[in-house]
Amino acid sequence: MTAKKEKYKKVAYYPGCALEGTGHAYNRSTKEVGKALGLDLVEVKNWNCCGAMEVKNVDPKIQTYLSSRVMSVAANEMDMDVVMAPCNGCYHNLKKAEYDLKNDSESAKVVDRLSKKAGHKTYETGQVETIHALDWIRETIGEDGLKERVKNSLSGIKIANYYGCMYTRPRHIFPEKDAGPGSESTSKPHFMDDLLAAAGAENVDFPLKTACCGGAHTLSDSDTSTKLVLNILKTAKLAGADVIATECPTCHSGLEMHQIRAEKNFGEKVEIKILYFTQLLGMALGLKARKVGVHENISDSIGFLKERGLG
Amino acid sequence: MPIHEKSLIRPENLKTHDKLVLDGIDVSGHWSTFIETRVVSDYNEALEEEISALPGGEYIHRCWQCGSCTNSCTVHAINPDFNPRFWIYLIRMGMESELLRDKDIIWQCVSCNKCTYACPRDVVPEGVMKATAHWLERKGHTPKSPSTHFDEVFTEQVIATGKIEESRTIRRFFKRTNQGLMQSWMVEMVKRMLRHLPIGLLSRMGLATFIAPRTSNWSSAASAIQEYIDEQHDKQDKALSLSELIDVAQKDAAA
Repeated sequence: MTAKKEKYKKVAYYPGCALEGTGHAYNRSTKEVGKALGLDLVEVKNWNCCGAMEVKNVDPKIQTYLSSRVMSVAANEMDMDVVMAPCNGCYHNLKKAEYDLKNDSESAKVVDRLSKKAGHKTYETGQVETIHALDWIRETIGEDGLKERVKNSLSGIKIANYYGCMYTRPRHIFPEKDAGPGSESTSKPHFMDDLLAAAGAENVDFPLKTACCGGAHTLSDSDTSTKLVLNILKTAKLAGADVIATECPTCHSGLEMHQIRAEKNFGEKVEIKILYFTQLLGMALGLKARKVGVHENISDSIGFLKERGLG
Repeated sequence: MPIHEKSLIRPENLKTHDKLVLDGIDVSGHWSTFIETRVVSDYNEALEEEISALPGGEYIHRCWQCGSCTNSCTVHAINPDFNPRFWIYLIRMGMESELLRDKDIIWQCVSCNKCTYACPRDVVPEGVMKATAHWLERKGHTPKSPSTHFDEVFTEQVIATGKIEESRTIRRFFKRTNQGLMQSWMVEMVKRMLRHLPIGLLSRMGLATFIAPRTSNWSSAASAIQEYIDEQHDKQDKALSLSELIDVAQKDAAA
């Protein structure tokens, strides 16, 4: 625990493409929370796309290469040993690349060949550890540390914690999960629940924590995505939540987009706010709603937060 | 949840006669229900091998038909015809014409990986779904799915610039699939974004970007990636006997 506490204080920050676009509010709130907690984020130099699901579908080994380049830059050009990715897609892909390079010699051969042609050092497994923004805050500050720092408690806010698919599945790329006390669970993840509870929020019993929002087909098969999102929104509402907390830009924008699409195309309106967990933590730490980008969200929660003395 | 079994008797093959007397015995109504004989004669013995040759399909041979994939499947829950276990069975049996009955929905896998999580044999059913959808397209059984178009638009942009600029990917995808950008829900979404956002910030968020983000010194990585993709594509064409087909056609045309 203490080793990680020190190790994660200064990490290579890999925002990824979504955080420069639709997930801008997540980028902003992650950086602000880091600043407020005295943690050091050094952005990965000249980073590239992790490959996402789309490149993996075209050729999985190209996705492995793309992710490996990001880790190679962090390790060999910046001398960092931890990469922190707040986006579930990036986090998942870097983990998957680490697994593939360790376990599939063919992948390692392809990555070596492409790295040499591209003119950078080949990433070697074990050079960096990839973590999620949840691990980062949990290990460095922890629940107790957070409790001490809370200025505006989130008390009275009922939250459904939504983790999505890529944070826990498939199990084999996350060897540190399901590893006994203190580790994250792949079937019932709780790191976000724990942090928000420490900030005073009330977590509702939400059975769809790791359900799929249909993000892969958000535009190519929109009706399927809308049905899946509608199921998540309605279940959260039935569970008594005011807010769905997210920790992935694709999930977040998927929920926001299809909440509107369900209303416009299916005539089904579900009133529930959608906020990044970093936005909620930031406001609990005393940051203004604007500072953590709440006005950038499509889901309008400004009035709701003001009523509760936040923002 | 129970494991969902797929009935092999189709409603259209059930024949009932309202009035039927056999050997002097009246067997009218449901007594006379018969199942029409169905003969499968077009086994494709190479089917499993072909799908194994495509990325994602490598471990299909491990399947022992437990049904955990279908049981955990996100898409199956909203469409009972979406049945990975059944398709893996058909592929391994070589029952191509049966598989083709579902050709238009296989691409709808959302890659949630619940199947891969549940599978006791590490078949990676999510990968098998991708391989099967690609096989259907490469063999000409289906046109490219919207999902494949999206993957291609996305990958082209990553190869070109190293990064994704979402609004450009979305515009290109709509153009390639001949859809209008001005769908009512999209307009509504942007309207709600504008409620609190100054337009300058919108452009920073990538909605009206003129200078696309890019990774610098990317060209050698780009050409290495493209070269590898082309090479793999040729290998797969061979495995799917597509290159052989082209050869024969070319020789035929020359003669």
